[in-house]
Amino acid sequence: MQDLITSTINTFDVRAQYPDSDAMNKLEEYFRSGDLRAKASLAISANAKSIITKAVAKSLMYTDITAPGGNMYTCRRYAACIRDLEYFLRYATYAMLAGDPSILEERILNGLRETYNSLGVPIGGTIRAVQAMKEVTADLVGTDAGKEMGVYFDYICSGLS
Amino acid sequence: MSIITRSIKNADREARYLSLGELNAIADFYQGGQDRLRLAQILVANEAEIINRGSQRFWSRYPNTPSNTGNPTFRASCMRDQSWYLRLITYAIALGDTEPIEKTGIKGVKEMYESLEIPLKNLAECMRCLKEVTTEMLSLEDAAAIAPYFDYIIQGFKQ
Repeated sequence: MQDLITSTINTFDVRAQYPDSDAMNKLEEYFRSGDLRAKASLAISANAKSIITKAVAKSLMYTDITAPGGNMYTCRRYAACIRDLEYFLRYATYAMLAGDPSILEERILNGLRETYNSLGVPIGGTIRAVQAMKEVTADLVGTDAGKEMGVYFDYICSGLS
Repeated sequence: MSIITRSIKNADREARYLSLGELNAIADFYQGGQDRLRLAQILVANEAEIINRGSQRFWSRYPNTPSNTGNPTFRASCMRDQSWYLRLITYAIALGDTEPIEKTGIKGVKEMYESLEIPLKNLAECMRCLKEVTTEMLSLEDAAAIAPYFDYIIQGFKQ
């Protein structure tokens, strides 16, 4: 994985250049928003369980997915689903702290769509749940941090679809 | 590796969120970020002068080094390499870690310069001159923040 600093350095080192003003502005903005990021991470970690519960209630509960024959029917599958959502939330939080989505690619998205397809996990339902997490998280951490987290939730969704 | 990436990797290994202590350390790092960028920008803005003065000092101490034999290619390469190391230092300052120096500038450095027939101890002295002229330019506090990165390079040349 890399963070915004490393990814900037890697980009410019291969060109033997100093970061341009655009990249410098991004770095400055990243450092300036550091407090926000740290606080959001703390709030999310303290409320992770409830974020998942609310997101599932918002997006999956009482739909075909949880009904008999659906992919969340049986406790085992339900548990697997919320475990995956917990992963998504934790890795999105890591990515938000790093200011870079590479860890999502490495730890979450690499091969996930193929795995879900082979297990019969519906991609559409997964995306709905991630979008619900995005909303619930934004309610918890506020607009600015919520927007930043949203970038990484959306990254997961676009990697799945 | 920045403290951010390191903390995330540690937390990930244990499948947990970052602790309050880790987040506090990261928050300090974010806060120091502006200052590290300012320091890096001083080096960028003064690059030409640092390298000019560093080279002069180096050649006065080691007059018989390849870059001082009148060969313009050697001379240009020497100054280019200095600017590369200076650039790596600005990366390291921004990151708060020596990783960019290690990765791009130290690994294999001995083999490379030996095959180019440039004595490593001359290079180490060249970097020492760069360090001197840079730290002379800076406030005491900034100089203290920057010196360890030069020392890291000098040590790397002594391997």
